[in-house]
Formats: sequence, C-alpha cells, structure tokens
Amino acid sequence: MKPGMLKAYIHVIKLAYIFTLKQSMTDAFILFGIFVQPLLIAIMALFILGEQGDGVVIFIVVGSGLTGLWDSVLFQSGSSITRERWTGTLEVLVAMPTPLGVIVFGKNLAFVTQSLGSMIIAYTCASIIFGYPLSVESPSLFIVSIVLTVLSLVCMGLVLATLFVLNPDMQRWSNGLEFPVFILAGFLFPIAMLPQWTTPLSYILAPYWAAVALHMSSSGKPDILEISLPWAMMMLLGVLYLFLAFWLFRKMLFKARVDATLIGQ
Amino acid sequence: MNTIEVKELRRIYKTNIGVIRRKTKEIVAVDGITFDVNRGELFGLLGPNGAGKTTMIKMLTTLLIPTSGTAKILGYDIVNQANPIRSRIGFIFGGERGLYWRLSGIDNLRYFASLYHVDPEVTMKRIPQLLELVGLSDRGDEKVEGYSRGMKQRLHIARTLLHDPEILFLDEPTMGLDPVGGREIRQVIRDLQSEKKTILLTTHYMFEADALCERVAVIDQGRIVALDTPEALKQVVSDLSVIEIEVFGVPEEVLDQIRNLPFVDTVSVEDLDQKQALRVHTAKGSEAIPLLLSALESVRVGKVTVREPTLEDAYVRLVGGKV
Repeated sequence: MKPGMLKAYIHVIKLAYIFTLKQSMTDAFILFGIFVQPLLIAIMALFILGEQGDGVVIFIVVGSGLTGLWDSVLFQSGSSITRERWTGTLEVLVAMPTPLGVIVFGKNLAFVTQSLGSMIIAYTCASIIFGYPLSVESPSLFIVSIVLTVLSLVCMGLVLATLFVLNPDMQRWSNGLEFPVFILAGFLFPIAMLPQWTTPLSYILAPYWAAVALHMSSSGKPDILEISLPWAMMMLLGVLYLFLAFWLFRKMLFKARVDATLIGQ
Repeated sequence: MNTIEVKELRRIYKTNIGVIRRKTKEIVAVDGITFDVNRGELFGLLGPNGAGKTTMIKMLTTLLIPTSGTAKILGYDIVNQANPIRSRIGFIFGGERGLYWRLSGIDNLRYFASLYHVDPEVTMKRIPQLLELVGLSDRGDEKVEGYSRGMKQRLHIARTLLHDPEILFLDEPTMGLDPVGGREIRQVIRDLQSEKKTILLTTHYMFEADALCERVAVIDQGRIVALDTPEALKQVVSDLSVIEIEVFGVPEEVLDQIRNLPFVDTVSVEDLDQKQALRVHTAKGSEAIPLLLSALESVRVGKVTVREPTLEDAYVRLVGGKV
C-alpha cells in the first residue's frame, strides 16, 4: 500500500459511514427491522419470561438487541452492493481508485452501529415500560464485547454482500436466514437446548460468540480468561471473514466486468 | 505513446432467450475497433443508439472486459491494470443515475472526492468552484432528488472534474439538456480542451461532433465506418446537395419509390412532432425538386429548402454503405 493510502482509506470509511447513516435514517423498512421488531420481540419475551428474575430480563434485553443487529447485517449489509447496483451508483464506485471493499466496510460499519439502537430500545422497554431495574454487571467487559461484536459483524456483512451478488438466489432467500441465526447463535435461549449436531454451525458464526460475550458480561462478572475465548473467536472469525471477503470481492468484480452486470436490470 | 490506444477491440454480449428450451444468443456490440487518441485531443465517437459507443466507453473506463483485442490508457492495460487508469480518468455516463438522491449535491461531491483520494482541504476549495462552473452554486445544499434531469447531468460533470483528471470520457454529456443547457456544457467542454485535457466524447448529435471534435470516428453496428476530421468527413458528401422537404405522414412505399429514383443518393427521414423532415441527397441540386415533388404527389408537403451537406449528411451516406 502506498504511503498516505491508509489515511485516504480511513477518510473514505468515515464519509461512507456518515453518508450511509444520513440516507438510511429515512428508510422505513430499515427502521422497522432495527427498532420496531426488536421492541416487539423484547415485549413478547418479557411477558413470557420476565417473572423469572432480573438475570433473565437482562438476557432478554441483550438477546432482542442482538436480533436487531443480525437483521441489520442480513438485510442492510447483505444488500449494500446490490442496492448500489439498483440505484446506478455501483458502476461509478467500481470505476473509482478506492477498492469497493473499503467503501462497503464503511457502509456496513454504519449499518451495524446504527442497529445498536435496537439494544437501547430493548433496554428502555424493559426498564421504563416494564419497570425492571437493570444494570450491566461488567460494564467495561461489556463495552469491549460490543466493539468486537460490531467489528466481527461488519466483516461478516462483507462476505454476505458479495455472496448475495454472486448468487442472487441467496439474497432472495435471505428472509430464511433470519430466524435460524437467532436460534443457532443463542440470542434468546442457550444452544444447549438444541440438538448436538447443530453446535459446530453455531461455533462458526460470529453472532454466537457475540451473544456469549455480551450475555456473559451483562448477566455476570466473568474473569478475563473466561471471556477471552468468545473475544478471541470473534477476532479470529473477523479476520477469516476479511480474507474470504477479499477473495470474493475480486471474484465478484471480475465476473461483473465480464458479464456486464454492474448495472441493475 | 498515444494517450488512448485501441486495437481490434471486440465485445460480445450473451443473452438467454426462451423459458423451457433456453438458447444463448450472442450480440456483437463492438466488432474489432481500432483507433488512437492523441494527448490533448478532443475525439468523438459518433453513431446512432445501439452503435456500440457506450460499450466502447465502458471498456475504456475499465468497467467491461473486452471479449478480445487490447486497449491501453496512458500505457496501462484496461483489463489487468485498471487501478492506475481509474485514478487518472474522469467519466460521465449520462442519465439520472449514478448519484445519491437522498444526499445534497455538495455531499455527493464530498463523497466522490474522497473516493478519488482528493485531499479534504483541496476538496472544500474545489467544490464551490465546480458548482460555479456548472451553474449549481445556489442549489448545492439541496438533495439531489429535487434536481431536474439537467441539474443532475451538471452535477455529474462537476463530479468528473473533482480530481482534475488527465483524460475525460464523456458519454452523451448533453443528453436530456435543453438547448441553453447543452450550449453551456459544450462551452465547458471547449474550456477543458483548452486546458489540454484529452477528451473522448460520444454523441449521436451530429452538430455537436461537428462543433467540438478535432477528429470523429463514425460507428455503426459496432464498427468504425469512417475516421477523420469533421471537414474531411463532409467531403464524402461534397458532391451532393441536400434537399429538405417538410412532409406530413409519408408512407413507406413512397419513400421506396424516391430511393429508387436514379438521381437520388440517399434518403433519410426525421420525425418532428406532427411532421417529418425528408432529406434527399442528390448531385442534381435544385433541379431534382420538381421530380421529387412529383413522387410526393399523394403526400401533403410543406417547406422545401436546398442546402449544403453537413456532418449528419456525411454520416447518413457513410452508414448507408456508400463510402
């Protein structure tokens, strides 16, 4: 990388982040997935399980917040490239000297941090509407877990974005990827309740390790060694997703240039 | 080294037809085109819709990979060395797309400037200058979704110039603009040429190619049928006069009859609202008028004029096959 290029890429990520937030705050579908649906899930879960104690309530708040995060990765990050194609801006972006992956990274960062609002909504619902006195048991560990969650999900979003372009059928079935991940990642109940053969599937998903770290740090006071496993897994998976995304971006862009599919049909 | 070197470039599109028994159909959009563009030259690609102009520009701007042939921009190969090319060129593809409608004009320019790695301080100075250049100074803060088609086109032009590129690819830059807007954009293009930028312009407006370009390649069905200066191209029809007859609904059989007249070289018809402009190229000059009016006996006829041929007339003759 040429000197000065890293600074240029950081500036691109910053502006992609700001302008993506500016545009998405007026999209009703996005706002529903990030704020309304997690709120509904939180209300239902609190009604069903709320009487089991404050420990369960914070679990519900974090879990329903995570559903909003996953929805953001699936529907916003996953379609970040196809949406550019529909609006006719993908061609313009590809013809720029900045790699498309850098641009999409900035967009995905905006989508995922925006969806943290779903956790705030769920927390507000539980503490103000239902009156539960909530507190996060290990705030500093929780914050580190949030940061690693955001970064690993952004990287996962890069992979989904390219896969949805390379295989449009996969995007059409993206609704079918919503609830399976809610379940496999243990957002609202532990994966120990699932058949054992599903466990490896959970382990390769960054959302699972995000749920483990966030539940651990919000509901209890784990020591550093305990929580370092989910942290390490999020970092490892994030790096793996990045390498995979790098390869997929090259493949996707070459194919699009050969097939003339940079423009939406 | 020429700024743009194109050798036997070919691009075939494959499309599937049929639902149950699918077949693959091949469409040759660019069929073995060769040309060079010199540094600082304003070069035109002239041709009707579907001739292959946009496909050619998209290959040269690294967005399409050719099926065969080679092209180099400033010595860099368009297939394998796309990145060095992208930082040195600007492009407009025309139309309303390619901008972020929910952002303001200024925000669009800030964003694209970052993608071109223009220093933020330089960007903040350059944006007002460019908005002034394209006549959008007082509309920069408004969202692009509220812009007219012409305003979006102007914003595209501003975007193209953010990083002060050496080479510009302009695909139908005045498409959709009113006559005043089109004239203003053509003046901008002339000003850019005076700054020694290399410009490759595509257009289907003959008068535009005639007015702006130093050399013009006439493209038809993916092939170059002629390449020369506008003046030299007009010599193709220098032996002919053009008789323009205003008609109101001329049937095809009457047109065929006129085409078959021995003194007629080529015939073209342009639709103009409620009437048509019938243009006949002939060496006979005004002597042919009574004979033509006789052939048009059954048709309502308006004005009749005789004039010297233009680049458009040369184009009609060239794509008619009589070079």
